[in-house]
Amino acid sequence: MWLSKYLAIAKINFKNEFTYFWDFLFDSVFIAIIIFIYSQLWAILFSTGHYSDISGYTLAMLVWYLVMTESIIDFISYVVDNIGDDIKQGNIANYLNKPYNYIIYIYTIHIVMGFVSLILTFLLGSIVAAVTVGGFSFNFLNIPFILITIFLAMSMNLLIMTFLGLFAFWMEDVSAVNFIYQKFVFIIGGTLIPLEFFPEWLAKISSFLPFSYLAYYPAKLFINFNLHQFLDVVAVQILWCIVFIFLILFIYKKAIKKVSINGG
Amino acid sequence: MTNMIEIKNLKKSFKVITKEPGLRGYINAIIRPKHKIVNAVNGISMTIKKGELVAFIGPNGAGKSTTLKMLSGILYPDSGTIKIDGLNPQKDRIKLAYRMGTIFGQKPQLWYHLPAIDTFYLFSKIYDMDPEIYKKRLEYLIEKFDIKEFMDQPVRKLSLGQRMRCEFVLALLHKPQILFLDEPTIGLDIVVKKNIREIIKKINKEEKVTILLTSHDVGDIEDVANRVVIINRGIIVYNGTFSNLRKEYLNKKKIKIISETPVVFNNHSATKIINQSKYSLDLEVDLTKTSLKEIIDIIMKNNKIEDISIEDPEIEEIIEDIYNGKEMKITRCG
Repeated sequence: MWLSKYLAIAKINFKNEFTYFWDFLFDSVFIAIIIFIYSQLWAILFSTGHYSDISGYTLAMLVWYLVMTESIIDFISYVVDNIGDDIKQGNIANYLNKPYNYIIYIYTIHIVMGFVSLILTFLLGSIVAAVTVGGFSFNFLNIPFILITIFLAMSMNLLIMTFLGLFAFWMEDVSAVNFIYQKFVFIIGGTLIPLEFFPEWLAKISSFLPFSYLAYYPAKLFINFNLHQFLDVVAVQILWCIVFIFLILFIYKKAIKKVSINGG
Repeated sequence: MTNMIEIKNLKKSFKVITKEPGLRGYINAIIRPKHKIVNAVNGISMTIKKGELVAFIGPNGAGKSTTLKMLSGILYPDSGTIKIDGLNPQKDRIKLAYRMGTIFGQKPQLWYHLPAIDTFYLFSKIYDMDPEIYKKRLEYLIEKFDIKEFMDQPVRKLSLGQRMRCEFVLALLHKPQILFLDEPTIGLDIVVKKNIREIIKKINKEEKVTILLTSHDVGDIEDVANRVVIINRGIIVYNGTFSNLRKEYLNKKKIKIISETPVVFNNHSATKIINQSKYSLDLEVDLTKTSLKEIIDIIMKNNKIEDISIEDPEIEEIIEDIYNGKEMKITRCG
């Protein structure tokens, strides 16, 4: 019974997203342009002829890597701000008096958005990659595995952002927190450049943090699948999800007693 | 009749950061924030019976919405107890949610870009309604609120009045026993306001729903509520019938006229001139001494009226009267 509730929420949100279809598309086009720029940059690096690969990445792999990281990361950069606005503008009043859980509500809404955006960005990005650097060897049987790790990466990202968004109960404005988080994901998380390119100490630090599991590992498995690594990654992703679920529950319990509705 | 809502000595305060003006004040607020405690609700006790329609009125910031939000389980009181249908709204929030409908006038629940019918369906799922029951209930409400024509259009394309009717259908879909309406008519024009008032009365009568509605406008609840609770600075200053309120405190009307010719008006024993210029006149009429009609007749006879308006006193004035009245009673007793 409770599942059908959230399915209905997912469904209506999917419908709603189509009214923002052009926003989505525009966003994806922008990312496709970035992928194109990077593909040119990498191409120059490789054209010196000194390397056929860098740290095990060929030109095609690097570009396709970027297509995947961008597709996963792109979507939910505004979750933190959304939750912050709900809390600050008082719309949370309309969520708290319903027979559902606000946190699961948030999760359901954004995971749907995440997949819509993933598909769009990936399609456009693939076209750019295919035209500029061509394909790479990919085993289509790996798709289910890759989808699992993408799903977990998105869930992790969402949980972390929900956690950060809930700070709006204590802070005036959470957009600064969001800004810092997004930059961490971008740089330490290896969204633009694979972690192998980093100095060893930084890569080491990064492996203890959640960021690299949001985009780097799923994208790496996408361009170079390895069952052993897949199992490792999935295990760590699940672990991080559990950690953040507990953190959210802890902070949410406290937060809910602190609610003060602005605007009447 | 049994009690639907029981509130005892309810209190809630907020901590607000005070900022002094200017850059200096801004920096001070960051380094050494000064907190001010605002007692939004300061010891409220009242009971509401099953099926009653009670209006909760008071000026902006009086604590109406805060009380309502504590009743619906969204806010946690600092002290005091609330019982709604035997439940504690904070502890049994989800359980109570099934029995409760809410409309927060400034916070619509309909999905803005989608037709209202989509949100109706969503709510039927959220409230675990049986599809057959939902279908019947919706048909009934569609007819009742006359929304058939426009419920398939995106909500953003509806007029405010149409949207409000859809909001009511949404709030009533799961057949709640209690309805909380927070400023349901705010920002609406007179015709729509009247329409919404009729609807509220009808729901109360036909569905036997207990309704608590807030407003900052006394005129707004005229002919709607049987009982009025007036709240000011977090405490109840009046709790009684509307007819009593009318007799005791709402016994004045304000007339404002603009005349094409210079105003001619000899002060009547039941009127007080508030403001007068050559072509305009503001009057206060004491309805215990005369009828409104009599005064208007006098004005109409002697003047060529360009514009006329008749208003109820503001809630602030009524509250002031209540305070004055209390003092008078006290001195009389002493």
